[in-house]
Amino acid sequence: MRKRTLKRGLTGFWWFTLAFLYLPLAVVVLFSFNASNSAASFTGFSWRWYHQLMGNEQILSAFANSMVLAIVSSVIALGIGCLIGYGMYRHRHRKLGWLIVLIYLPIVLPDIVFGISEMAFFVQVHRLTGLFQPGLGTMIIAHVTFQIPFVALIVYSRFVGLDPTLFEAAKDLYATPAKRVIHFMLPTIKPALISAFFLSFTLSVDDFVISFFTAGPESATLPIYIWGAIKKGVSPEINAIATLMIGAVAIAAIISLMFSRRRQA
Amino acid sequence: MSYAGVTPSARSRAMVRESRHLLFTVAPGATWIVIFLVLPSAYLMGVAFMTNGPYGLPEMPLSLASFERLAGFGFLGWSPGNLYTLLRSLWQTLVSTGLVVLVAYPIAYYISTCREKWRPIMLLLVVVPSWTNQVIRTFGWMNLLAPGTPLSGLAEGLGLIPPNMGLYPSNFAVTLGLVYNFLPFMVLPLYAAFEKLDTAQVEAAQDLYASPVRAFWHAVFPQTLPGLLAGIVLVAIPAFGMYVIPELLGGGKGMMLGNLVANQFSGGANWPLGAAGAILMLIATFVGLFAMRRIGKRLGGGEEVVI
Amino acid sequence: MTINKTALALSVGAALLAGSVQAQENKLYLFNWTEYMDPAIIEAFEEAHDVEVVQNYFNSLPEMLSKLQAGGVSQYDIIVPSNYYVPRLIETGLVQKLDKSKIPNFANVMEQFQDPAFDPGAEYTAPYQWGTTGVVYNTETFPDAPKSWSLLFDPEVNPDHPFALMGDGQVSLGGACAYLGHGYDCTDPEGWKEAARLLIDTKGRDNFSGFTDGTPALQQLARGVTHVGLSYNGDYLFFKDEDPESFATLDFMIPDEGAEMWVDSMMVTSEAPNPDMAHKFIDFILDAEVGAQLSNYNYYASPNAAAEPYLDEVLTQPPVQPSEADMERLRFTPSLEGESLQIFQQLWSEVQSR
Repeated sequence: MRKRTLKRGLTGFWWFTLAFLYLPLAVVVLFSFNASNSAASFTGFSWRWYHQLMGNEQILSAFANSMVLAIVSSVIALGIGCLIGYGMYRHRHRKLGWLIVLIYLPIVLPDIVFGISEMAFFVQVHRLTGLFQPGLGTMIIAHVTFQIPFVALIVYSRFVGLDPTLFEAAKDLYATPAKRVIHFMLPTIKPALISAFFLSFTLSVDDFVISFFTAGPESATLPIYIWGAIKKGVSPEINAIATLMIGAVAIAAIISLMFSRRRQA
Repeated sequence: MSYAGVTPSARSRAMVRESRHLLFTVAPGATWIVIFLVLPSAYLMGVAFMTNGPYGLPEMPLSLASFERLAGFGFLGWSPGNLYTLLRSLWQTLVSTGLVVLVAYPIAYYISTCREKWRPIMLLLVVVPSWTNQVIRTFGWMNLLAPGTPLSGLAEGLGLIPPNMGLYPSNFAVTLGLVYNFLPFMVLPLYAAFEKLDTAQVEAAQDLYASPVRAFWHAVFPQTLPGLLAGIVLVAIPAFGMYVIPELLGGGKGMMLGNLVANQFSGGANWPLGAAGAILMLIATFVGLFAMRRIGKRLGGGEEVVI
Repeated sequence: MTINKTALALSVGAALLAGSVQAQENKLYLFNWTEYMDPAIIEAFEEAHDVEVVQNYFNSLPEMLSKLQAGGVSQYDIIVPSNYYVPRLIETGLVQKLDKSKIPNFANVMEQFQDPAFDPGAEYTAPYQWGTTGVVYNTETFPDAPKSWSLLFDPEVNPDHPFALMGDGQVSLGGACAYLGHGYDCTDPEGWKEAARLLIDTKGRDNFSGFTDGTPALQQLARGVTHVGLSYNGDYLFFKDEDPESFATLDFMIPDEGAEMWVDSMMVTSEAPNPDMAHKFIDFILDAEVGAQLSNYNYYASPNAAAEPYLDEVLTQPPVQPSEADMERLRFTPSLEGESLQIFQQLWSEVQSR
């Protein structure tokens, strides 16, 4: 009897929490269709803010920057992170404490310290050498830096999960290390590579603080543009871009759900 | 080991090859992190020990002035502003982490009691909002808590806030934003702990102790502790250094350490002071991590706390 | 395949690093306040000189300065700071002297702007627009609003309606100084301290909503989020014209205790990628008709004497041209340096953190 009350209470709490999680997003979506620019009352349905978006070159270029940044940084991080992941696995019996510390550093460092360090450093190096002009280049560098650890850890854990005898078999099968990499290693860790790429991509698109401090005048990403628009106080247009981004996330969620379903089946 | 029976020279050659392999795989990434993170952080720490120039940029000679400023000593004698900021950061971290635990614990338990085919979907539902950008999520709360909205009207009707003022901007809005932002970080490790719960132990405890509270305390809670600790680390550390949420939801009243640091780098304010603040934040981060590790180890259970 | 991809990515990355230096030949980078430039002027300039103008915007001077320090100095050609930031930009070496031989239209500039106090001889600056910072308030909420800073600082005048102060600390502190009778442009540490205390008390009031920059403050007022705030005369008229309905109940006022008058100037950064084009642009803006077009667009007073015949009527009356009585009470925000700048920074950071 008491157990059932508990369960019922928990179910109620679950729905309440879901409402808490989705209410702010729902409000953004709702008000993106608001006919007036009031933030407090919904006065009627309209596509007005979306039309306004379409003609906005800054938003389009911010979108392009976000995509270039996410794709290029993820690809670089995938290459470098993959190598580290494999190195960590292959040499896991050695004392690699310093490497572990190094790899966890980008993860535990507070965003703001990360971003400001990079900014101060790039500014100083730029002053001395003329390299690292703030812009997409510096942002890519910063993003790769925080993506490497995640790629390395995912790849490492995939290797650890493999049967060690597989490696011996591969050694017998393929004569050269290059062939081993192409025909055995890459196919085996493909799922890890795919999930590492998507995680890197998500981390990059999601980042605001580090991008904000390493960006140059022409490299504003969508989050930076939205931040500027919030600070400027123009609201309904932000709702519209934000809704498009929420839509993209919802699609990603549905896809990932379908994948997990299929895996179960 | 595997080299037994091989001649010494072959053995050392193999070792050289292994070392070269290690270098080839690990060096690119390690170098990258050293150049683009360790070096910049070291530079920032150096800045903290420099003098604040007339327009806020670091200058020689070296000095401890920025730490004195951080502690509140300036041209005008001691002032408590930075102390307020620090205490506010600690308080917000404490309260929001506590609230996150209070919400996440039952939610994680509830998910683990549901039918197996529903669990991934439920977890996904909890996590999906955090896939949207932090700035957008926070903007959602700005819309929801602004003056004139139903929630603000309700709070006003209950006499919780002064008339005409919304729930945002306020310290309450910052707490809410933090809880919202970090909830999934707590639910996931707790769920992992609940899923592995040893039911035999729980049933034995139910027979042993009369009250369900005691059964929970002795059999369930200890088993979920590693997950709880992992969650606390994942929530408290980033919350302490938060920048976006207090900036957008605090409205000038909710400044936290992250904002103090960032402000010093804008408008030519004071780079060395900002760098000193960053060092304080780093110390707090590492103390937090270290403490969690110690507690985690003492609790044993063989389970190492994530991170 | 991954290796190929990595190589590709690396080369793309390298190209990006190197590429940011080149490809700026035919571009002019303008770093300006938001809503301050007529797009038609930009188009006309692009056509006349076969160049692409890239605009970036800031909401406050501290924001502008920090962007410049964080590498912007080599990426923007022209910046448009206000008078009190000019000396510190010159002293930190972030700007370069103008070559007046390339700016024949400088002769159009009114006499008082040819030799301003903040830049003797106008060696570095060419005036863009000038204006005032005043109190914008809701006339329905405050039908008998006093012409005074008390609308912001006296809890008895405004006990329970949300209000905002200016994000730029020097303006907010100046307002508090003026209210306390030390004058808007006070710099004496005792006066400042008292003003800072007033700001801290004001922040502690329940209906204080935050520190907001000038342009966003108007958005908040228009949407009813706040009922009093600080903003600029031209922006007020600009947005009133765009949204007459929301602005019908908003009014702009210059407090009798004194307030801010400012001049925004065009300056060329010291490492400008395209200084020649920057000079051409400045000359273009100082043309009589273009100068008038600019003022007619953004509702600010023109420092261009030759532009006068082309100005709309609204630009010849308050609030664009303040009344004579108001004019006497307007002051420049003091430009700070050395110890006084540091004292100000400390006081302001104290205000922010309480």
